[in-house]
Amino acid sequence: MSLELLMVVALGGSLLTYVLGRVSSRLRNGFAVLVSLALVAMVASLYGKALHVSYYEDFLGMSLVLRVSGLSWLFAMTASTLGCLSVVFSLSYMKGKERTSFYYSMLLLVNAAMLGVVLSGDLLSLFIFWEIMSWSTFLLISYNGGPALAAGMKYFVMSFVGSLAMLAGLLTVYGSFGTLEFGGVAAGMLSASPGYILAIFVLFGVAFGTKNAIWPFHAWLPPAHSEAPSPFSAILSGILIKMGVYGFLLIIFVLVGLRNFMALGADGLPLHTVLSIVGAITILFPTFMAIMQNDAKKLLAWSTVAQAGYIILGISFGTSLSVAGGVFHFVNHAVFKALLFMVVGTVEYRTKGVRDLDSLGGLIKKMPLTFAVALIGVCGLIGVPLTNGFVSKWLIYKTLILERSPFLALVALFGTWGTILYSYKFLHNIFLGQLPEKYKDLERAPMTMRLPMTVLSIVVVLFGVLPGIPLSVINSIDTSFGLKPLNVTLWGLASDTGALNTINILAAVFAGLLIVWLVLKSGGRKVSVDQADNYAAGAAIPKDKYQYSVGFYAPLTRMVAPYLKDFMDSFYMRLAGWVGGLGSGIRRIYTGYVGDYAMYIVLFLAALIFVQLTWSPW
Amino acid sequence: MVSPVLLIVIPLGLAFCVPLIGMVSKRFARFVPVVACLFNLVVSVQLLPAVLSKPIVVDLGGFGAPFSINLFVGPVGILFSLLIALAGFVVSLYALAYIDKGPTTRYHTLYLLLLVGATGVVLTGDVFNLFVFFEILCISSYVLVAYRGDKDGVESAVKYLIQGALGSALLLTGIGLLYGLFGTLNMAHIAVQAGSADPIPLFVAMALIVVGLGVEAAIFPLNAWLPDAHSSAPSSISAILSGIAIEVGLYAVVRMVFTVFGASSMLSFLMFLGVLTLLVGELCAFAQSNIKRMLAYSSIGQIGLIIFAIAIATSGSITGGFFQLVSHTLSKALLFLAAGYMIYRSGSMDISSLEGMGKRMPLTAFAFAVGAFSLVGLPPFAGFPSKLLIIRGALADGGALLALLVGLVLLGTVIEGAYFFRVIQTVFFKKGDGETARCEAPAIALVSMFVLVALIIVIGVYPSLIIGVLNSAASELLVRADYIGRVLG
Repeated sequence: MSLELLMVVALGGSLLTYVLGRVSSRLRNGFAVLVSLALVAMVASLYGKALHVSYYEDFLGMSLVLRVSGLSWLFAMTASTLGCLSVVFSLSYMKGKERTSFYYSMLLLVNAAMLGVVLSGDLLSLFIFWEIMSWSTFLLISYNGGPALAAGMKYFVMSFVGSLAMLAGLLTVYGSFGTLEFGGVAAGMLSASPGYILAIFVLFGVAFGTKNAIWPFHAWLPPAHSEAPSPFSAILSGILIKMGVYGFLLIIFVLVGLRNFMALGADGLPLHTVLSIVGAITILFPTFMAIMQNDAKKLLAWSTVAQAGYIILGISFGTSLSVAGGVFHFVNHAVFKALLFMVVGTVEYRTKGVRDLDSLGGLIKKMPLTFAVALIGVCGLIGVPLTNGFVSKWLIYKTLILERSPFLALVALFGTWGTILYSYKFLHNIFLGQLPEKYKDLERAPMTMRLPMTVLSIVVVLFGVLPGIPLSVINSIDTSFGLKPLNVTLWGLASDTGALNTINILAAVFAGLLIVWLVLKSGGRKVSVDQADNYAAGAAIPKDKYQYSVGFYAPLTRMVAPYLKDFMDSFYMRLAGWVGGLGSGIRRIYTGYVGDYAMYIVLFLAALIFVQLTWSPW
Repeated sequence: MVSPVLLIVIPLGLAFCVPLIGMVSKRFARFVPVVACLFNLVVSVQLLPAVLSKPIVVDLGGFGAPFSINLFVGPVGILFSLLIALAGFVVSLYALAYIDKGPTTRYHTLYLLLLVGATGVVLTGDVFNLFVFFEILCISSYVLVAYRGDKDGVESAVKYLIQGALGSALLLTGIGLLYGLFGTLNMAHIAVQAGSADPIPLFVAMALIVVGLGVEAAIFPLNAWLPDAHSSAPSSISAILSGIAIEVGLYAVVRMVFTVFGASSMLSFLMFLGVLTLLVGELCAFAQSNIKRMLAYSSIGQIGLIIFAIAIATSGSITGGFFQLVSHTLSKALLFLAAGYMIYRSGSMDISSLEGMGKRMPLTAFAFAVGAFSLVGLPPFAGFPSKLLIIRGALADGGALLALLVGLVLLGTVIEGAYFFRVIQTVFFKKGDGETARCEAPAIALVSMFVLVALIIVIGVYPSLIIGVLNSAASELLVRADYIGRVLG
């Protein structure tokens, strides 16, 4: 399987989808699913291979290379799988919407660009695919119009600042080493000065950090994730922002090298510590923002920022345990966050676009399967044992304890506590509580929505019970970074500092369930009461006048809201306003009076001659 | 082999045939510019291989240089004449449909004269001859700006005329000073003697000439005419003014500074001026709500970028500057052409009136998007390799000052991205005010736009197609002795 063929299928598939859409929408849908499935199969067949092909010999003197490594395979696999599931999910979600050909074609283009990013073997290819990914994402975020326009704009400007920083960085690298291939750059970096490496790291870090939405570059993410079409939010949150994680892994472990990276920064404050602190801030503050959201997608979006903080926290320690934790958390987050966005998408689809947590409720009776997968997804997000999130968070906590970072560990635990709060709010306000009258005839989710959600929820449990499957892949990535390999078993980890064995947990959980079942079984007769009686203690109440989920966590919100200002976001907005004001100010130079204009010309000439006669600089 | 003189003579002759043909049939007259531009395109392509191996010098009137006026067809000249013929051809196709009201024969005559002037400026090797062609270019553009005869057009044209005339006067004074100093008007001959001349008069002459030409080249603060003129002209003329006229002005400045005066000490000043022009242009464009004024200010920004790139004066950066020039000509022409019909259909130049155009005229809107993406410098469009080359050239030097300027340039690019993407959102994703009927641009206009779209994508993916010409053009500018040697023998 050649890499060029893979990229041709990915890019060509996107273009052809649009063309077919002109012919027939059914044909297009079938083709889009087929292409995305083919990509999954093609990426899967690359497992364990190490390929390296130069597909464009001379782009302005630089050669463009595609390659696959363990790291890029894992990301490519996640991207193509999520892409495929999202296309399937879109089949019903996008039915009847306008410009669907454009939508599918862009969805596949984003997918192709992400594959390009992770399969690139040189920095220029990476940049080119990165930019294609950025603008196609911009188009998809703006797709809905209305508030999505501002969201798209914010995304594009921030991401463009990042990618231009990356451009400056990679061209500096080219200037010093004369090559952009990863191998050549890594060789050059061995003898580079720490100041130089730091500058390069910062330039690339801005790009990767913006994409990954770590604080203080997170401002674009909440509006973008909540305004994009839901199947695309799943991709956005699940894998697209993780391109930033890929970038960090690439620059830290492949280009700069762990030893160099650990030596960067000032004496008392090394760079990796700064990165862990940034990760901790990224966990703490967005978690509280998530708790306070009343829009289901905004809640998930802030939660995405917070979870990205865990990943960065894991990576920044640079031990085999921590990197495994970070990378595994990336995979897990991709799975359960995509699942949760699809859940919101399903609810939106059935309720005609409602995602306000204050006006939903009780949907468990109408959409039992959606509730079940949402529960599994939320458990994964919290990190309940026997779901995938537990294992990756365990690895990260373990690292924090082993590396003697009590404060960071406290932040991480605090973050998990917050995660429980907002996850419960999410689950309760949509599925539990009372069912509003207007939703009493709601149908359950269509097949094409249930299928991808079920697949993802199975993965959540599978990776939670048998973490050895993904961990063995991640372990090989660890080894390729030159880290000490972990002792991975199918059921978890065997290590001298504390083992993880999911069999024990499984046994304990089943024992617990058995006891609960026995207690219930031996208890008395069941009495069914009306749901409203639970709230009103039997008093007569006008049923549809009250919505019990309104103002969830009101006391907590009252307590923390005054301290929670997204001041980075207001800073960016003020900056944008300031640039606009500067433009309007500068425009006044062009007064509209031709006399002024003629004077500019003469004065400029006079100034030139005056300067030359006085100081003769030229 | 064909003589390069034909590049000027044939279109000039045809320009004056237009009114005659127009007397017979106005319908035929509009095809004359198409034919003339096609002719120039073919001749330029034919000359290309010969010119790349060795520049062609044509002595007119049979006397050798420096006694006669001569044409110098080097890589730079052929690059520009190709670009002029190409843009001229595409825009004249567009004008077949777009220019349907008013004194159309006069339009076509003046249009051809404008292109003749532009071609003459880039091919001539004589300072006074350059002035003459420059005047042909400017005067026809003054008139064409006022083509519609509405208040805006006439007002802008008069403003343009006043500033342009002031510039020309300065230019002529400067040329007069040069003649007084050296007793010759041949560029190469002046270049030989420039080193040994009295520095103060020489500087004054250079200042007069650079400022005079700088008006047309839209260098800040000499560019106040541009937003008015470009926005009130018919869109086909805006495309040529933005895509060709200011580039030709820029060529003249660069030719003077690099070849005639060899003023390498001026370059760092030009570099700053370029960045300043860029930032002023982009900031003003950001604050615009009128689409054509926005595009016009964006041209100022792009010219600033090209000046910056060329003034760095390494072969990499000059190549990048010329690449940017090519991609700007293609993209900006495309943007004006696409915006032209969108404005025509919506009846207003306000950006907000373009809402919903993505549905009403999908192909035109698509062409606009390609132009915008390319101008912002996104892959895989033509603007990407050019920005890459410029930044690479600037960073290769390694100085902290250049790195700072690159930072400012990138800042300008971000602002540029912001205002172009705002328009893209308006065109594609804002729901219009109910009007949904399809109103696509006429076929011939679409053909002209998609020629540009194709070129932008092909050059963006295969920059090596044109990099050879650009490299030789860069070395023509850098190696002054070659130019002198080739002309004076």
